[in-house]
Amino acid sequence: MITRIPVLGLAPLVAVLAWWEWTGTPSSPYFPAPSSWWPALLDLHRDGLLGAALLSSARTFVLGLLIATVLGTVVGLAVGSSAVLDRALNPTLEFGRALPPAVLVPLATLFLGFDDGMRVSVVAFAAWWAILLNTRSARRALDGTLLDAARSMGLGQLRRHVRVILPALLPAVLLGVRVATPIALVITLLAEYLTGTTGIGGLLGDAQRTFRPARVYGLIVAGTALSLMVDGAVASMQHAVTRRRTAT
Amino acid sequence: MNPDRPRVRINGSGLVVAAALLLAWEGAVRTGAVSFDALPAPSAVVGAARDLMATGELPVAVVHTLRVTVTGWVAASVIGVGLGTPLGRNATVHRWSMTSFEAAKAVPPITLVPAALLLFGFSLWMELSLVVFAGVWPVLINTVGGIHQVPTELLDVARTAGLGRWSTIRLVVLPAALPEIIVGLRLSLSLCLVLAVIAEMLGNPAGIGNALILAQQGLRPADMFVYVTAAGLLGVALGGLLRLATGRLFPAATIS
Repeated sequence: MITRIPVLGLAPLVAVLAWWEWTGTPSSPYFPAPSSWWPALLDLHRDGLLGAALLSSARTFVLGLLIATVLGTVVGLAVGSSAVLDRALNPTLEFGRALPPAVLVPLATLFLGFDDGMRVSVVAFAAWWAILLNTRSARRALDGTLLDAARSMGLGQLRRHVRVILPALLPAVLLGVRVATPIALVITLLAEYLTGTTGIGGLLGDAQRTFRPARVYGLIVAGTALSLMVDGAVASMQHAVTRRRTAT
Repeated sequence: MNPDRPRVRINGSGLVVAAALLLAWEGAVRTGAVSFDALPAPSAVVGAARDLMATGELPVAVVHTLRVTVTGWVAASVIGVGLGTPLGRNATVHRWSMTSFEAAKAVPPITLVPAALLLFGFSLWMELSLVVFAGVWPVLINTVGGIHQVPTELLDVARTAGLGRWSTIRLVVLPAALPEIIVGLRLSLSLCLVLAVIAEMLGNPAGIGNALILAQQGLRPADMFVYVTAAGLLGVALGGLLRLATGRLFPAATIS
């Protein structure tokens, strides 16, 4: 599916960058001209750092988001289908949702160390609230007739969940994933930034500490590209699901 | 009892579960059932909180983060509604600039930390600039979306009544878009808090984020749990207050 990008809308951005290029110099310590960003990225690429960093960030992010989606859906489904459980867990879930996920990164480094497992865990933990709470309220609002129909057709517990309930909840789950995506990306980069060395976050921290402004701006562009790709992927999944549902 | 006021219901079973979880944690640490040696018991966390209250470190950090979050959020809200209104009202403005805003929104705010550090150094301005940048987008996007959903009949009524441009926006468009804008304000507030904490961890040496990093470097896990809890309570309080305020001020526009 090709979405048409309204190109005209890019005019102000292009104007700002052109003005920046016109007035800036490549050596400015604050506003290096945009033409110097690309060579700075190429430098990183030649050292073999850029590709590895992108891959490492993407891996942490995707793994974390996948774990969050599975756990969030399962727990949200369980909590949403029982009024008693829903009420009993509500304050705990509300606290978890309101907790700014960034504060967990230093805590996780203390208990889980500085490795991949720690990064994936904090990303999953940051991302799962939106998915869980969305799935829960969608399950709570699920049409009773749908459940009765499934039951009267004699579907067992498992088949009812796989064939009826999960497909009905899918749009809500995907909406949760879409909400969770930006925060998961921020936490991925934060975990890399704080622990150093790996990923786009690690490169950014390094570029800042060694005062390489052109590289900093180049990496901002790289991070933005990553975020646009991820959001585009989730959005097209959402479109595919809604289209299939309206088609049938 | 006043029947108009919503009765405050206490979720008893919810509190019991939360208390049971804390007790289980306490028991697990006391009996040595968990293997993390750095994990403090809740009682130790309470003790640490009392110490940090006595030295004044905890209130100072919380107040700093609170002030930056609220200041940044107010600025972000004003900018978001201010830019979102023309974008939502005027098709030409929308066509010629919306994609630029969408692109700017895609910049993960944390990647701007090094740029903000180069510009402002380890300062309050660095923190505020990040908080405002992150907080603007949900308000802007929801203002545009809310205005686009205003029924044309309402606008026709405004025109027939002879309302001018500003009165139409003030009396018709913004009130009709308010439910969406309020959702944006809520999203924005929680993002502002996250970015304030991140900016304090990586840049401005103040507030909860910085205290958390210092406690980590000083290997004081109980203090870390105090600050994590404080951040969570701050999040609950800010979200709850905003919901209460919008519910009181605009009862019809607030979706719970």
